[in-house]
Amino acid sequence: MKKLSQYLVSLAFLLVAVGTASAQVRLNNLPNEPPVRARRLLVAHRFEITPLFESSIDADFQHTVGGGLKLEYHFGDQFSIGVIGVASTSIHTSLTDNILATLPDQPMAGSKVPSQQQFLDHLNTMPVHGAAYVSWTPWYGKLAAFGAAYLAFDFYFQAGLAFAELSSSCPTTAGLCDDTHPGTSTMSGGVVVPPDDNPRNDPPLNSGNRLGLYLGGGIHVFLSDFIALDLTVRDYGFSDNPSGADFNADEFVGNNPKLGDDNRFLQHLFFGAGVSIMLPTTVKRTP
Amino acid sequence: MRNLRHRSRSLLIVALALVGSTALAAPKKKPAPKKPAPANTDGGAGSGDSGEIEMDSGPGSGSASAGTGSDAAGGDIEMDENPKQGDLSADLAASDQNTAAVQTGPVKHTPISWKDIIVVIRKPFLKLHRVELQPFVGVTMNDNMITHQTGGGELAYWLTDVLAIGVEGMYYIHEFGEPYDLVARQARRLPTVNQYNWSGALDFHYVPIYGKFALLDRKLLQWEIGFTAGIGVGQSEVVPRDKTFPGFTNLLIQPNIGVNMRFFIAKWLTLQLGIRDYIFLDHFEPTDRSPTHDPTADEAKANADSSLINNIMFQIGLSFWLPTSFEYTTFR
Repeated sequence: MKKLSQYLVSLAFLLVAVGTASAQVRLNNLPNEPPVRARRLLVAHRFEITPLFESSIDADFQHTVGGGLKLEYHFGDQFSIGVIGVASTSIHTSLTDNILATLPDQPMAGSKVPSQQQFLDHLNTMPVHGAAYVSWTPWYGKLAAFGAAYLAFDFYFQAGLAFAELSSSCPTTAGLCDDTHPGTSTMSGGVVVPPDDNPRNDPPLNSGNRLGLYLGGGIHVFLSDFIALDLTVRDYGFSDNPSGADFNADEFVGNNPKLGDDNRFLQHLFFGAGVSIMLPTTVKRTP
Repeated sequence: MRNLRHRSRSLLIVALALVGSTALAAPKKKPAPKKPAPANTDGGAGSGDSGEIEMDSGPGSGSASAGTGSDAAGGDIEMDENPKQGDLSADLAASDQNTAAVQTGPVKHTPISWKDIIVVIRKPFLKLHRVELQPFVGVTMNDNMITHQTGGGELAYWLTDVLAIGVEGMYYIHEFGEPYDLVARQARRLPTVNQYNWSGALDFHYVPIYGKFALLDRKLLQWEIGFTAGIGVGQSEVVPRDKTFPGFTNLLIQPNIGVNMRFFIAKWLTLQLGIRDYIFLDHFEPTDRSPTHDPTADEAKANADSSLINNIMFQIGLSFWLPTSFEYTTFR
């Protein structure tokens, strides 16, 4: 019995000793090593200048298409600040064209159907828009295309403040935006004139400057050490009423104390493509 | 005396254990420096079974050799720096063994140097001859009148690591967007829209782009970009502007093209994000439908307005791979 216990104690000690030794052997420096060595610092401490093209995605009444410039400074691999500005023109969507084709040429008395001119003149455009933002680049890597082209890339996300200049040009001619007191009563010659409950001749109130929120996400595909293809989806969120018509069903265009403004916070999605030029043009490498 | 023998046997076991553990725990000693690599001549190799790897040695490149003890393979490999313990030696030894296993005939001696060796890691995920089962969800991206959400699945078989053939099916639900209501109220025009009910397709997948990225400078992930083309059928249904009229359904031939990204999470699990364009000629309710004009479904269908539709959908799904693991068939 004593012999058996001695053997068991010895065996246990042996197992513990070997187990401990094996565990020690498996230790190495890999966990402390960087995931990527000799990595090109493609963005860190560089200015990025990007001429770009931008187009709206899924706009309701007017596509916004334009060109602009993005300026960005990268503090490091992950964080940067930048501004973007885009000048644009507008193109009717197919929805607008389809609606126009069915509208009458002139306003019809007693009808709530707008004329073609009333409908068109209430739509707004976005001649200028842009944003100031901070950018975060959590992903970077490289890819092989067709087993031949090896390209570096990174994904980034942006958040900041959006601004936009909206424009509508409804003339105050007869039947077009000539309602001087939309939604309210007024006195005329000692007589109370009630609101006409006709939003089609109200000023659209959807022009002017807007401030809002900006979100974006995109990818750089580096064609060389200092040139990259820049593809981005951007969301400019601000108060807008693209149709310039009555949104809250109060029969006038304007700010209703109870129902609120016909302008409401809307997302404006854009897709942008540009060519980024990184300065300085030479890159450093990590150890 | 007997006790002493027992005790000495126990001490022997303990001593063996200590020696063994000490040997395993101790850092590996630097191997004794080997003789320098032989001169780079055709007849100078020590073995006919493996090529020499020659350093671009300058005058001062007399560093210690790898010393892996793989002399049987016959190749002397010199490193610029002292070799790391363990891994590289094991890899080189395994490589030597593999080389010895396949090089059975005479091999032409072609001196090479480290500059001629391109380090390519093995693809971390193999799809060859595996089945991919992918449940996914999707949403319409380019219709602001009616938004379709889909739930569906795809079963694909990978003929090679980059080519696959698969079948997919989707069921659609829909909701109307803000413009659908606004146009009716502001412009007094009822939009003509169709809802989609289901679709299915035979798809071909090609994956020409793969890569890796570092997430937050810490975690390396593998991904790839693939293209899809397919042909299928689907059903759309007219949403009548006037609910007193019956709608009708259309059977659609739907070619599709798409691009997607796949992120490798485990040997049996991947995440897909993609955009697919389903292209078809759809038939809509006639704009002049009235109680006296195309009141029935058959009449309305016969006089339907046709339009080419691009239904662009964003899709995201998880793929489960069978078999759940794989083995490499090529050398490291």
